[in-house]
Amino acid sequence: MNMESKPLNLIELDRVSKSYNRNLALDDLTIHVKRNEVLGLIGENGAGKSTLLKILGGVHSPDKGMLRVNGKERSFREPNDAAAAGIGIVHQEQSLIENLSVAENISLGSRALAGSKPVVRFGFYRWGTINDEGQKALTHIGSEVSPTEIVSRLSFADKQMVEIAKAVRQATQSGNEPVIILDEPTSVLEKQDIDRLETEVQRLKAIGSVIFVSHRLDEIRRFCDRVYVMRAGRIVAECQASELVDENLFYLMTGRAKLERKPQRRGDANPAIPALQLRGAGCMDHFSDVDLTVEKGEVHVLVGARHSGREELCRALFGLLPFTSGSALVSGTELRGATIRKAISMGIAYLPAERKLEGMVAGLTVAENLLLAHPAEARFGGLLNFRRMKDEAMRWINKLDVRPTAPDLDIGQLSGGNQQKVVLAKWARSPNLRLLLLDTPTRGVDPGAREYINSLIEELCATGVGVLLLADTLDEALAVGHRITVMKDGRISACFQNSAESSPELSEIVKHMI
Amino acid sequence: MKLEQNSVEDRSGKFRVWLESYGAFIALNIACAAFALADPGTFLTPTNLRTILDQSAVPVIIVCGLTFVILIGSIDLSTEGVLAASSLTFVLLSSNSRNAIDLGIGAFWVALGVGALFGLLSGLLQTRLRIPSFMVSLGLWFIGLGVGTVLYGSDVPVLTSEESRNWVSASNLGVSNAVLLAAFMVAVSWIISGYTRMGRFAYAIGTNEAIARLNSIPVGRYKVLIFVYAGFCISVAAIIASCRLGVGTPDVGSGQLFLTTAAVIVGGTPLSGGRGGILQSVCGVFLLIVISNGLILIGASPITQQAMSGLIIVTAVVLTGYRQRDLLRVVK
Repeated sequence: MNMESKPLNLIELDRVSKSYNRNLALDDLTIHVKRNEVLGLIGENGAGKSTLLKILGGVHSPDKGMLRVNGKERSFREPNDAAAAGIGIVHQEQSLIENLSVAENISLGSRALAGSKPVVRFGFYRWGTINDEGQKALTHIGSEVSPTEIVSRLSFADKQMVEIAKAVRQATQSGNEPVIILDEPTSVLEKQDIDRLETEVQRLKAIGSVIFVSHRLDEIRRFCDRVYVMRAGRIVAECQASELVDENLFYLMTGRAKLERKPQRRGDANPAIPALQLRGAGCMDHFSDVDLTVEKGEVHVLVGARHSGREELCRALFGLLPFTSGSALVSGTELRGATIRKAISMGIAYLPAERKLEGMVAGLTVAENLLLAHPAEARFGGLLNFRRMKDEAMRWINKLDVRPTAPDLDIGQLSGGNQQKVVLAKWARSPNLRLLLLDTPTRGVDPGAREYINSLIEELCATGVGVLLLADTLDEALAVGHRITVMKDGRISACFQNSAESSPELSEIVKHMI
Repeated sequence: MKLEQNSVEDRSGKFRVWLESYGAFIALNIACAAFALADPGTFLTPTNLRTILDQSAVPVIIVCGLTFVILIGSIDLSTEGVLAASSLTFVLLSSNSRNAIDLGIGAFWVALGVGALFGLLSGLLQTRLRIPSFMVSLGLWFIGLGVGTVLYGSDVPVLTSEESRNWVSASNLGVSNAVLLAAFMVAVSWIISGYTRMGRFAYAIGTNEAIARLNSIPVGRYKVLIFVYAGFCISVAAIIASCRLGVGTPDVGSGQLFLTTAAVIVGGTPLSGGRGGILQSVCGVFLLIVISNGLILIGASPITQQAMSGLIIVTAVVLTGYRQRDLLRVVK
């Protein structure tokens, strides 16, 4: 090898394996990242993407195999080592410390880096330098966030920009060509922020490399040059991003064929009482004058921008917020002074957007989480019948293909998609379910799990359950909804029928959203 | 409309932050004003104000360290035990009525070492063996008390060095040296909290330990360091308290655990950590001391005084935790 010329690949992973308590997360993985390239990484939740990123970021070290950065073999013991080698990660879960200022966050943990003005001298922080460096890093990526602002007061998109600024700064400071890893950076961004991100990715590509992890195939096509598809800890395909074909990709990622799903005309819905009827409902300044009907067996999709009041509407129906005006009838029964208990007993179920915070109890097992809301069947007198509980859990695990198939596993150890399956199954079990409120049930969930979740929703509809769904994207709304209602500033601005024969144009919906 | 909503949120958010930072200070002023009105003849006299400062010196020195411990979301229950062990160590190594050992200034250093050692032990047990600080420090409390009691023996060791006894209460600059030392400790701790890694990382760790780790902060090392500093501060307080009493006794610190922990929380550092600071804790100490002082002056019974401190603490906890009450948060 000619030592003078730079190696072609910035990063090479050679036959890397990693397992966590007997679960093989990475299986003999070999990949490379070329210089000046945007590499896409896709795969279902639990395919091993996160593990791969943790190894690259120095959070975990591999059991076997070799990591070469810029041709040199490296082993990282802590995140700083990775940063020193030029690898910066923008984490999916935010890695900023909320109570500290933007500039302090950007400088945090950069103590080992050479070649810049020290932000700490003789053990003392130099706030002037910290703020200057922070400002520089932010200006560098074209962000207008103030370096002295406290992070918790920033919007989500701005936090993301700060994360990028921090990763870029750490990765470039070493003097090496930076490799920036973006772990699902777009899942919470609005359209114009995604455009900004694209510009930034192109700029990073000019000075180093970018690894882009995403669930959204259109974004992978838009951002990336080359793509690896991962499944079960292995690379199952490698191709140019332009060659990606949806159907094909789905098969590669999941190992099974895509279920054909078209918005069906709902079967002659029970003409009797609708699952939910709202008349002039309002709640403080969150929403007002909402008239809405969810028929039995109908998937009614609510779309709207942030602050449109659709989330609050769901929370009010589940008894988390009070209705301050109007009336709400669930299967003909008036909902008044509701509490969560009452809501559940009336057959309402709610799947919150903040799964980790509100939807599940990490620390309890999968089986326990499944039976949390309706423990009756597994009761033996006042005690829990563990065998029946396990049987019931296994039934659902098999039905929804929850992996790994271990009812005794702590739910916190499952991947996001699998957690969501369990949370949904918890409500689907309910014998008297009448109204299902789903707040972005497929956000941050991989396509495979999404299929299972959608087919479960369909199945529930067939039994006469009404579904009120807050869609993550308009495409999703069009794919699953029978009717689409648009909310804007707390009021309903439009309502569309969506069936095989007639479905609204995207632009038509967007017009009413903003 | 959207903009309007945001600005309303903005303002209430800012107000809460402001209340957390200055709440104790405002309450302190209100309390002072109230007592000044209720009993103008005695409360506002220089003698009484000096008494308040003197009473505050020991707890202020303790909260200098304790604030960091609570900032990282830990708790230190060993205060009174460490006070006992340090106090007895100091007295028995100074010129005293029990033995002939007199290390002079060396006694200070050894006593400070004892406190730091307790802190080190506490920190290492937590980070290496992963025992919650609550349990570790509870154990160390009684170990400290035990050490103190054994050293105490059967008769009271009296500090015979006039120098040490007089030094703390000498007041060359209008206030006693103990108060000056406390002020010095506060200044040092304030610099630590704002300008050093130990201080900034304390905020980071308290906000979210996992994220702090992700950012390459050596969490364990800084936790140990913070407990060592807390132990050190307790020994400084122990020396002051022993010099004042003129004797070494294991119950030199009785009541300090409750007072100091409450002061930190009343000041605006929540038990979950991440927010608050040294100056707030100092205000917390003054607030609690002023209230007990004032209540004595207006002739309230000791039971009323205790009830009042309890009431203040509960109020403070409600106020500092108020902004976390949304969502379906679980309270343990």
